[in-house]
Amino acid sequence: MKIFSGKIKALVFLFLVLNPVSPIFAQNISVTATVDKNSLTLEDVLQLSIVIKGTQNTPPPELPSLPDFRVVSAGTSSSTQYINTQRSVSITHNYQLAPMNTGTFVIGPARVRANGKTFSTQPITIEVQKPSGQKTTVNKNAFVVTTLSSKKAYIGEQLVYTFLLFHRVDAKNLNLSLPFDKTRFHKEELGEPKSYIKVANGIQYHVQELSLALFPLEKGLHEIPASMIELDLLHPMRTRSSRDPFGQFFGQRTRAEHKILRSEPLSIEVLSLPDGAPQGFANIIGHVNISAELGKKNLEVGDTTTLTVTVAGNGNVRDITFDEPDLKGYFKIYPDKPEFHQTVRNNQIEGKKVFKFALVPLEAGNRTLPKFSLPFFDPGKAQYSVAQTQPLSLNIKPSTTKEDLNLVQSSQQNAPASKPEIEILGRDIFPIYTELDKFQNTRSHSPAFLATSFGSPVFLFIISAFLIKRQKRMKYDVAFYRHRNAYKNANQRLKKMSGLTDSSDLSDPKEFGRELSEILREYVGNKLNLQGKAITAEEVETRLKEANYESAEATRKLLEKCETLQFAPTTRGNTKELLSRAEDLIKLLEKQS
Amino acid sequence: MKNAFSLFLFFALTLFTSLPTEGSEYLQEIVRANDLYAEKHYAQSAEAYESLIHKGIRNGYLHYNLGNAYIRMGKIGPAILNYVHARKWIPRDENLEANLKFAIQQSQDKIELPAPGPLSTLFFWSNDLNSSELIYLAIGLNFVFWVSLSLWLYFPDLKIVRNALLCLLLLSFISIGVKIKSESDFKPAVVLVKRVEVKSGRAEDAVTLFQLHEGAMVTVTVTHENWLEVRLNDEQKGWVPKNSMGH
Repeated sequence: MKIFSGKIKALVFLFLVLNPVSPIFAQNISVTATVDKNSLTLEDVLQLSIVIKGTQNTPPPELPSLPDFRVVSAGTSSSTQYINTQRSVSITHNYQLAPMNTGTFVIGPARVRANGKTFSTQPITIEVQKPSGQKTTVNKNAFVVTTLSSKKAYIGEQLVYTFLLFHRVDAKNLNLSLPFDKTRFHKEELGEPKSYIKVANGIQYHVQELSLALFPLEKGLHEIPASMIELDLLHPMRTRSSRDPFGQFFGQRTRAEHKILRSEPLSIEVLSLPDGAPQGFANIIGHVNISAELGKKNLEVGDTTTLTVTVAGNGNVRDITFDEPDLKGYFKIYPDKPEFHQTVRNNQIEGKKVFKFALVPLEAGNRTLPKFSLPFFDPGKAQYSVAQTQPLSLNIKPSTTKEDLNLVQSSQQNAPASKPEIEILGRDIFPIYTELDKFQNTRSHSPAFLATSFGSPVFLFIISAFLIKRQKRMKYDVAFYRHRNAYKNANQRLKKMSGLTDSSDLSDPKEFGRELSEILREYVGNKLNLQGKAITAEEVETRLKEANYESAEATRKLLEKCETLQFAPTTRGNTKELLSRAEDLIKLLEKQS
Repeated sequence: MKNAFSLFLFFALTLFTSLPTEGSEYLQEIVRANDLYAEKHYAQSAEAYESLIHKGIRNGYLHYNLGNAYIRMGKIGPAILNYVHARKWIPRDENLEANLKFAIQQSQDKIELPAPGPLSTLFFWSNDLNSSELIYLAIGLNFVFWVSLSLWLYFPDLKIVRNALLCLLLLSFISIGVKIKSESDFKPAVVLVKRVEVKSGRAEDAVTLFQLHEGAMVTVTVTHENWLEVRLNDEQKGWVPKNSMGH
C-alpha cells in the first residue's frame, strides 16, 4: 500500500511538472511586441513579433488597425525552458508588415486575452522612407523598371507595357501585382515572361521581363500605378570552408531577404480619334491588309464556289465584321462562321480573320463581284485609311443538267455547312412563379407524424407475422391445434348437453355420466395432447398436476362423480348440478392453462 | 392484440389531426405581391413577400420571387440571400439556378456557391432532393420494406428483394443524415451592405484582412454576440459585424 501511494505521488508530481497549465507553475503573464527595425524603406518588410510569456494557451493576438501596412502572418513558435527547477513557457506570434506608404507610423497596442484578462502590448513607432537612391540602380542587388512603348496614344491603339526585374542574387517566391484601371485600359498578355542576362552600369544582372499589351479606352491624361513585386532574395553565406568536402554536397548556404520592389508610376496621354472618319468606319484601329479570292472562277449555274476574304494586320482585327456582299440576286449566299487567329510578334498583337461565303450562281453570264472595303485608323500615320480588295470576275455557264435548280439541295450537298452562332443580345432573370399550388407552406414534420409513418409498417408487420406464424402452427402443430380448440369443442358439447338434459336422449343418468366424462377427458386430452378418452380419472389428475393445473384434484373428483353416475345412476337433479360444475371446471382449467 | 390496434389507431388519429390545414389568406397575399411585381412596384412587392416570410411561411418559390424583386430593385445581396434560401426547398429548380448565377455575376466579388463536400458528392442525390423529399422517400421505402418482409414470411424466394429493399432503406436513412450534416456544416451568409471589412478580430480597430462587397457569399463558422466569424475559402476567414450580413 505504501509502495502504491508512493507511485501515485510520483505520478502526481510528474503530472504537475509536465502539465503546461499546472497551477503550481502558473507564471505571471506578460505580452510584449517587438520589431526587427524601427526604420525601413518601402522595399523592406518589417518583422513584428508578439511574445506571450507565462502561457501557451491563448487565442491569437488581436492586431491593431494597420491601414498603412499589408499584414501577413508568419507563423508561431513556442518555447519551454527549464532553468534549475524553474520552468518558463512562451509563445511568439510572428507577422510580416509590408509598408504601403512613407511616413512615421505607430503600431498600436495588440491585445491578447489570457486567463480571462486582456493584455496589451506597448505601441511602437516606425519610420518608413523612400528607398535610398531609388532613381539610380547603383550597386543594388535587385530593382525593377517599367516602360511604356509610347507616352501618347490614341484610343484603342496598342501599347506595350514592360515590367523588368533586375537581380544579382537568386530570387524566389516572386509575387507580382500589376494594377490597372480596367475602365481605362484593356489588357492582353503577350506571352510567357522572358529571362536573360543584361549588363547595366557595368554590373551583370539576371533580368525577368514580362510584357503586356494595353489598349486605352478613355481619352485624357492617365496614370498607370506603380507595379509591385514581392520576392525573397537569397544572399550567399560564406560559412562553409571551400575545403570542406561536404560543402559541395550540401551546397552553398544562403540567407533569404524578403523584399518588396516598386516601380515608378507611368503617365500616358490618350488622344481621341481625329475627325473625318470615312464612311463605314467601325473603330478599327491599327494597320490592316485585306484580300479576296474565289475558289472557282468558271462554273455552271447551281455549282458552288467559295469567296474567301482575309483581313490581317495589327490592332483590333478581332472586331472586324463584314455583311453579306450585295450580289443583286445573281447569287445565293451562305456565309460561314469567321475564323480568327491571333499571334504575337515583337510584342505586337497581330490578327488574321478569314470570312468565307459560299456562292451559288442563279443565272449564267459574266459577273464581277464588288470590292470589299475596310476603313481603319492607322495610329502610326495618325490618319484614316481604307483597305480594299481587288474586283473578282466569274464566268457562269448554263447548267448542263436539265433539272430545275434545287437551291436547298444544292446548298446541302455542295456548299460548306454554315456554323450559325446565336448572338447573345442581353441577359435577364427568369420570371417569378405565379401558380398558387406551388406556394403551399412547408412545415416541418411533427414527431407524431414521423413516429406513425415509420412505426406503423413495423406494427403491421408484427401483427401479420404473428397471424402468419399462428396460422402455420395451427396447420402443422397438432398439439397446438388441439390445445387451442379444446375449450371451444368442450364448450360446444356442454351447451349441446345442456339443451338435451330435458330431452329423452340424456334423461338417462348413465348416458349423461358417460357423455360428461367423455367431454371432460377429451378436453384434458386436447389440452395435454393425450388420448383423453382412454385415460382414467387418476391419470387425468396426475397429468394435470404435472402440467401445473391447480384444479387437477377437482377434475379427478368430477370425473369420479361422472363414473359413479355412469355405473350407479341416481336422480336427475344431480345431472344439472354436475353439468354446471363441469362448465365451471373447464372454465377454471382454461384460465389455468 | 386489441390494445395494440387501439394504439395504432391513436397514432393514426394523432397524425391526421396534426396535418396542416392550409388557409387561403396568405395565398391572397401572394397574389397581391405577384401583381405588384407585374406592375413593376418591386419595393412593395418585396415588402409583401417579406411580410409573409415573417409570418412564418416557409416556401422556396416565395424566396425565389422575393429574390427576383430584389434583383429588380438592384439589391444584389438580399437577392442572392433569398435565392440561397430558396435552394433549401427547391434544389432542382432550373430558373432558380439561372437567376442565382445571374445575381452572382452582378455582384462585385462574383463568389460562387462552395462545392459540396466529399460526403455530399458521394450521396449526390441528397443535393437534388430537399429534406422533406428525402423523408418521404425513406417513409415509402420503409413501408415497402416491411411489406416485403411480411411477404417473405409466405414466399421465402423474395429474400433478394427483401435484402435489396433493406439496402435502399439504409441508404435513404444515411442520405437524410448526410443532408442534415451538410445543412449544419454549410451556414451561408451574404453581404448585404455595399462593402464590409473582414477583420482579424472582434473589434472595429482590428486588422482588416480583406474586403467583401454586396452579394459576396461566405460560410458562417462562429457566431459571437454581434460578430460572425466567416470563411471565404480554406485560407481566408475573419470577423464581420453581424448586421452587415444576412444569413
